[in-house]
Amino acid sequence: MNIYRNNVLRTSGEIAKARAELTVASDRLGCGQEDMQQMQKEIVNILSKYMKLDNGIFSVRMNIVYEIKRGIRDVKTIQIK
Amino acid sequence: MSEVIVVTSGKGGVGKTTTTANIGAGLARLNKKVVLVDTDIGLRNLDVVMGLENRIIYNLVDVTEGNCRIKQALIKDRHYPNLYLLPSAQTRDKSAVTPEQMIKLADSLRQMFDYIILDCPAGIEQGFRNAIAAADRAIVVTTPEVSAIRDADRIIGLLEANGIKKIDLAVNRIRMDMVKRGEMMSVEDVLDILAVNLIGAVPDEESVVIAANHGEPVLGSDTLAGQAFLNIARRINGETVPLAELGASGSLFHRVAALLRRK
Repeated sequence: MNIYRNNVLRTSGEIAKARAELTVASDRLGCGQEDMQQMQKEIVNILSKYMKLDNGIFSVRMNIVYEIKRGIRDVKTIQIK
Repeated sequence: MSEVIVVTSGKGGVGKTTTTANIGAGLARLNKKVVLVDTDIGLRNLDVVMGLENRIIYNLVDVTEGNCRIKQALIKDRHYPNLYLLPSAQTRDKSAVTPEQMIKLADSLRQMFDYIILDCPAGIEQGFRNAIAAADRAIVVTTPEVSAIRDADRIIGLLEANGIKKIDLAVNRIRMDMVKRGEMMSVEDVLDILAVNLIGAVPDEESVVIAANHGEPVLGSDTLAGQAFLNIARRINGETVPLAELGASGSLFHRVAALLRRK
């Protein structure tokens, strides 16, 4: 999901997409939306501790990757780009 | 080899019943023997959408309880001679049928039909579990709304957990004018979030409402929605059909068409 830092979402379609992404991700991970956003903030903070980040362009995109084996979701990988 | 397909969505009101009726009509038009089963016990409405509400004598519960033979409960469609409806019971409750009975019923219907399409009730309760127990594959219907997408994602997870391998997505009620203005998620946006195979996108058109008012399929009429439903039926039947334009020219069509071709 994208967090648009210091960046206002323009159209309602973009807002809807961002909300849908966040909702779906938080459902899949069993992690509340506020916790999710808190986690992303912390990730950004950690990253900025070690590298120079421009807040204006920087965004966190998280992909959740599942692997399903015999009907059971047994792997939850979070890729952070 | 016949196939049992469940049409489901989680959220109510996204167009499951309309999609079921029109896909059924589409497959019948392709000369397949098709039966549509309304699995929403207590709230039947597929019969009304198909304009067959006055012809019901026996229903799904009568069949599973052995009050009649399957053939007695099947109602022939008014337009397509190889399309049949097995209506739901209006006065019974959703616990009247078990998943085991549903599997048995589907297996009997396999002897008679090429496609058995199950119209699933909204929600994830007994009616949903009954319908998915019998299904080989699923078509998840959603609209470009946050609530419908969230429910669709949950449904996809439940279908996978229940061992349904083939899951396709139908995006309903797309308004290209709004997508172009950026006030609605595009088909691509929905696919980004849900990451399942797209089987078709249906525009939000007055023709769908008008056809349902008459109790007729919109399929067969000269409308974009009718064409979109026919294309879904063709894809179910194994044909490769490029995604048609939804009333707007331009890059979206080409991008989504390219997406489909990648499969």
